[in-house]
Amino acid sequence: MILALARASLVRQRARTLLAVVGVAISAAMLLDMVMLASGMRVSFGSLLLAQGFQIRLAPKGTLPFDTDATIPDASGIVQRLRARSDVIAVSPVLGAQLHVEHGTASVSAAALGTIAAVQGDYKLLEGELPAQDEEIAANDALLAAVGAHIGDTLRVAAGFDPQLRAYTGQRALRIVGRAHFIYLSAGERAMALPLATLQSMEGSSRTDRASLLMVRLRAGADVEAARAAIERDVRTVSAISTATAIEQVEQRLSYFRQLAFILGTVSLAVGFLLVTTLVTVSVNERLGEIAVLRAIGVRRVRIVEQILIEGSAIMLVGAFLGLGLGLVTARYLNSILAAFPGLPEAIDFFLFQPRDAWVALGLLAGCGILAGVYPAWRGASLPIAATLREEAVA
Amino acid sequence: MTAALLLIAALSVATQGIDSLPPRHSPRTVAIDERLAQDAGFRIGDTLVLAATPGGAGDTVIVSALVRRSRDPSEVAKGAYRIRVHLDALQPLVGYGDRVERFAVATRGAAGADSARRAIDEAAFGFRAYSSHEIAVESSTTFLVVSRFHRAIGVITIVASAVFLLCIMLLKVDERRRDVAALRLMGISARTIVRSVVLESALIATLGSVAGVGLGALVSAFVNWHYQRVYRTPLTFSLVTGEIVAIAVVLSLGLGLGAGWLAAQRLVRRPPLSLFGR
Amino acid sequence: MTGDEILVAARDLRRDYAMSAGVVHAVRGVTLDVRAREYVAIVGPSGCGKSTLLNLIGAIDAPSSGTLAIAGQRLDGLPDRDATLFRLRRIGFVFQRFYLMPVLTALENVELPMSEAGLGKTERRTRARELLAYVGLGERLHHRPTELSGGEQQRVAIARALANKPALLLADEPTGELDARTGEEMIALFERLNTDGTTIIVVTHDEDLARAAHRVVHMRDGLIVDDRRR
Repeated sequence: MILALARASLVRQRARTLLAVVGVAISAAMLLDMVMLASGMRVSFGSLLLAQGFQIRLAPKGTLPFDTDATIPDASGIVQRLRARSDVIAVSPVLGAQLHVEHGTASVSAAALGTIAAVQGDYKLLEGELPAQDEEIAANDALLAAVGAHIGDTLRVAAGFDPQLRAYTGQRALRIVGRAHFIYLSAGERAMALPLATLQSMEGSSRTDRASLLMVRLRAGADVEAARAAIERDVRTVSAISTATAIEQVEQRLSYFRQLAFILGTVSLAVGFLLVTTLVTVSVNERLGEIAVLRAIGVRRVRIVEQILIEGSAIMLVGAFLGLGLGLVTARYLNSILAAFPGLPEAIDFFLFQPRDAWVALGLLAGCGILAGVYPAWRGASLPIAATLREEAVA
Repeated sequence: MTAALLLIAALSVATQGIDSLPPRHSPRTVAIDERLAQDAGFRIGDTLVLAATPGGAGDTVIVSALVRRSRDPSEVAKGAYRIRVHLDALQPLVGYGDRVERFAVATRGAAGADSARRAIDEAAFGFRAYSSHEIAVESSTTFLVVSRFHRAIGVITIVASAVFLLCIMLLKVDERRRDVAALRLMGISARTIVRSVVLESALIATLGSVAGVGLGALVSAFVNWHYQRVYRTPLTFSLVTGEIVAIAVVLSLGLGLGAGWLAAQRLVRRPPLSLFGR
Repeated sequence: MTGDEILVAARDLRRDYAMSAGVVHAVRGVTLDVRAREYVAIVGPSGCGKSTLLNLIGAIDAPSSGTLAIAGQRLDGLPDRDATLFRLRRIGFVFQRFYLMPVLTALENVELPMSEAGLGKTERRTRARELLAYVGLGERLHHRPTELSGGEQQRVAIARALANKPALLLADEPTGELDARTGEEMIALFERLNTDGTTIIVVTHDEDLARAAHRVVHMRDGLIVDDRRR
């Protein structure tokens, strides 16, 4: 019966309840988005880093992977030392460079990754073969489209230019053997993968036996942090970064978004809370007489509190459910805006939906809904019956 | 410090010296990032050894100046320190020979810049000339994205505010429906009632927006203080301009008028007796 | 009148209200006994304290001093929870302005106290139908208060007051909002209720309603000045 009363009270003022639900839905959508934003990047970046099973990355001392053009010397020696460790299964050295593909009279530049095909973790082969032999490459769709090439074609690719001789430097004829998707590159970025040795030789003496990054895959169950610390002690020219550290560092750089998520999430909750408190308080004030009569005919205080809390929570929950749907739509839109960040890997999602986020948002909103009803419920339950009835009669 | 960064540092023209000693010829002088000086405890006059690789052979240099990062948004999230080294000292240090990564060319006027750029592009092989504007556009992409993101969040906030305001106005008019019914029975016109409700709503919106501008200015000051500390940069992150204040007030007023009008319609469209609940 | 046991026993009952202008002594030492099956009308000028006395007897207000017992249960100093339970099980209230829940139908309004008392749905629905039929509204079970006339609303309020078979029915100006003809119907209904065994205390300005009672208590300035049985 109390439930019926609560429902009827909400239905009685349809326009008002509807507006409150819409208001809460917008707040809930914003809250969900902010919960997603707060954790999405971490989860998305973490799964991206672990996608190929490499738990540790070695970058030139004091830098983050591919953050600068710096390279690690004596790459092959370091790879051998790492492979000798009992807890290491595989080591993948990677050299990054900018290469230039001859295309008519001009050239098309593209990111190039020199890797060892058998252990690489930077790209996924979509079609064809891995570029395992010298002078073979796998290119992504953006590059193939830019130069109008297909698997089997040969491209003339240079490492640089000599303006005095007006000639390309480090130029080679490379055959496209595969079509690949590059995991860590941004959408639309032209890229190719080729054997590490090929790229090192094209780049000349400055890149001989050098790598931009070494990725290390550990045995299952190995202590990642212990391995990371040991490697850093052993190899003085590198900074060893575990996935957790990398996530932490990226988060530190993009802490703005986490803080923004916290602030906007709090504001959204506060707005929802205020909206529901205001609405329920006014609604209770309007029917103080009814409440006094309920009390007069023997309805217990706890029932009055229940009724009012149900009203607040119902607005919050209906709004929250609508808001969760709306939040997913707005999250997609906001994600599409942030996806345009230059240099951001295509697979990174700022707004990544996880069921946990929905539960967190729902829990916060439900808590807020209950809290929002506390003041009006207290007011309703504690009103003096006789005095209220007298005042109502006068009114 | 990497070769690339050092080169960029050496070529950068936008340095902002905040303290310096007269340059000396030998050993060569360098200017270091004030953040590096703070973190490592370096001071002007200190002697340092710069090397391209950790533990590698290096040059002995003297710190002759501390430089503060320019207000460049693209630099904000970068934690790396910068050292500004004389070009001819850096090239041998990093094995770049007689190479540079870019030239900055000063021209006479905007027209001169265009013709110089065309001439360079025609003569060049392996490099391209860009105007400062093009580079600015390229390097501010990140901030355009952030700006678009903020705009989208702003739109959501405005929609939420509109709903909130409308809700409050509905509550306010519902609260006084009996008074309004009495006024209407006394012969006060619907137009007068609408006008008074709209006026009240506009007043609430205006007062709210004034309070909001005040709060916004405080938040803005806090945001600048906080992020300038987090990113150790003099960059201004949040600006409350006259234009922004005007937009906020006009928008609030518009929303207030709209919400007031809608709420007032709810009052005047019902017969006075039904407002009494009869 | 009957020789039934004393249902209401009030001794030197007082109720003071602290107002900004000073203390108002609404009830200033009322002693009153009401026996079971009695039909008592409390009359007097406005502000004489009759409604306050009714509220005290109904346990919706607490006396400032004095003792009050209903059916042997002391009400003075009764904690709110016990007072609420007492009202639910032993008291039926009828108000001048009906105070039905506008969002519930007539049937649901009558069911409400039974639901609170924990009666099963079938049982309370059956009893609510019986009560509404008793007050002459068997055909208007599913109408909401706004769809009923004043007299009909008051009948629903009476049925609601009788829902938990109270020991005492209290009515505060039950004909105050009704026209003369509907008022007469209400008077007849009260007589029928009393004949059927309900103890009734009614506060009224309505002379016809007071005349219908078997005992009339006159109040003035918070005191009983006359108490006559017919």
